[in-house]
Amino acid sequence: MSLSATLPDAATPTGGAPAARPRRHGLKPTANGLPWILPAVVVVVGLIYFSIGYTGYVSTLDWNGFILTEPTFLGLANFSEMFGDPVFWKALEHTAVFYVVTFTVQTALGFTFAALMHSQVFLRGVYKVVVFVPTVLAPATMAPVFRQIFDADGQLNTFLRAVGLDGLAQTWLAGGTTAMAVVMLATIWQWTGLTFILFYAAMSQIDTEVLEAARVDGAGNLRTLWSIVWPMCRGTTVALATLGLIGALKTFDWPYLITKGGPNYATEFLGTYIYHTMLSEKRFGYAAAISVALLVLALACGVLMSLRNRREGRA
Amino acid sequence: MLVTRSRTSRVVIQVVVTLLALPFLVPLVAMVQGSLGGRGLGNYVKVWETGVLPTYLLNSVLISVFAILIVYACTMLAAFGFSKLRIAGKEVWFWALLLALTMPEAVLLTPLFVTASAFDMYNQLVAVILPVAALQIPFTVLLARNFYDGIPTEIMEAARVDGANIWQVFWQVVLPLTRPIAAAIVVLTLISAWNAYLLPMLMLNDPGRQVLTLLPSYFVSQYTNDQTGVLAAAVIAAVPMLVAYLALQKYFERGLAAGALK
Repeated sequence: MSLSATLPDAATPTGGAPAARPRRHGLKPTANGLPWILPAVVVVVGLIYFSIGYTGYVSTLDWNGFILTEPTFLGLANFSEMFGDPVFWKALEHTAVFYVVTFTVQTALGFTFAALMHSQVFLRGVYKVVVFVPTVLAPATMAPVFRQIFDADGQLNTFLRAVGLDGLAQTWLAGGTTAMAVVMLATIWQWTGLTFILFYAAMSQIDTEVLEAARVDGAGNLRTLWSIVWPMCRGTTVALATLGLIGALKTFDWPYLITKGGPNYATEFLGTYIYHTMLSEKRFGYAAAISVALLVLALACGVLMSLRNRREGRA
Repeated sequence: MLVTRSRTSRVVIQVVVTLLALPFLVPLVAMVQGSLGGRGLGNYVKVWETGVLPTYLLNSVLISVFAILIVYACTMLAAFGFSKLRIAGKEVWFWALLLALTMPEAVLLTPLFVTASAFDMYNQLVAVILPVAALQIPFTVLLARNFYDGIPTEIMEAARVDGANIWQVFWQVVLPLTRPIAAAIVVLTLISAWNAYLLPMLMLNDPGRQVLTLLPSYFVSQYTNDQTGVLAAAVIAAVPMLVAYLALQKYFERGLAAGALK
């Protein structure tokens, strides 16, 4: 549970703090570590840094991606087109809304679930598996199921008609707002289990004496949860918030597989937009320009994350 | 967390938990139920008769195994180097890895696509294995370095005094201590390799050389609108991971939790 990852000299809370110091007199003078990190560096630099550089280069071109076609150099024209592209801004807006909604719902559900599971519950293990299983299943295998449930003749509409709510039955995936809701629902379904596990672990760390003291002072269940447990899980909440932000930027599988980014760009995210621009429209240069924008945003989040780590590491 | 003094409040909690958990079961139930619609088990027979299932399964296994091997080897060596050895400009290298941590797959699309066509790497599993591994390594190195930092250096020094060289120290003394973090690394890599969709879709376009996550879409392309067959394909694709999770529950939960907090 160490959050001091990017602060290499900080004492690690994993139990090694006292031992970390004397190593200056240990192996350091004798062994050169460079060969040890080389394989990892080669794989990561070779693929990821190469890709970043190459994407940067292609982003200045007008090119259809065929090796034999001569690309035209455009300079920054792809970027100026991007800033004037309504779909690009739509994708960003979707990412923001998607992030706020999925994060809020997952946190609320995960926290509630964790608190309930720490109470006296019968068949706890079964509930845990039910909530956690979606986390390990591939969106690619589950997307057909979500398409089926929200199909015009799918389970949801059948259910609504059966209970007499015919008015609510609709073509869920054909409407922009409802399609986005389905994409969010699938994401929440998948990741609430992880949120739950993390809150569950955080709550196990809370000293029961603190809770007992609160009860002696007359705090009820809800009051204890809100004023004691929730603030004490703050570290987990913050970690999940950053994780969710990066996750939202990376979103691809669910919208691509459930709605292909449609209808009419209503569920377009940066990832799906890059994919369409590149493979359907064969506009490699423009796709690369959007990739650069995505990369910058992701890196900004990464920096934000390590700043937070640094602060918590000092605390 | 919640104190339940009366039987009623205990029942209330049980009911609330059940109501919260049931929706998570709905897609799984819908999947199995839908896959048995129409021809019943015949849907599964139909998926089997496409003939691609053994290949897809084998390819998924191969990609996962090799990705895990590469990630494990690179991570264990690099984290040891970062944590215990002398490296000029150590933190610069470490940051270079960390910067790749937030890398979205989509950014790799253009370069991988073009490189693969230039070197004729289409439909080769390695075109999926390497990117999957490269995206995983920054993360696992970070995890493992923290873990190594917690291993006291004195243990290593004792072995050194006994005449072991640095490789023997790593292999015989340190590596056996790293099992908990190794389990997390294997689980995290397994999930991302087995569940990968975008990279295989891009790199493996020969329908005869794909992976399990592409089975539902392959089925769609073969039999348009055979919804029950698609769901049967989805069930088949989901089963291996489901079994792996149920068998190794603790490792999955711990591994994912450790991964999330970094």
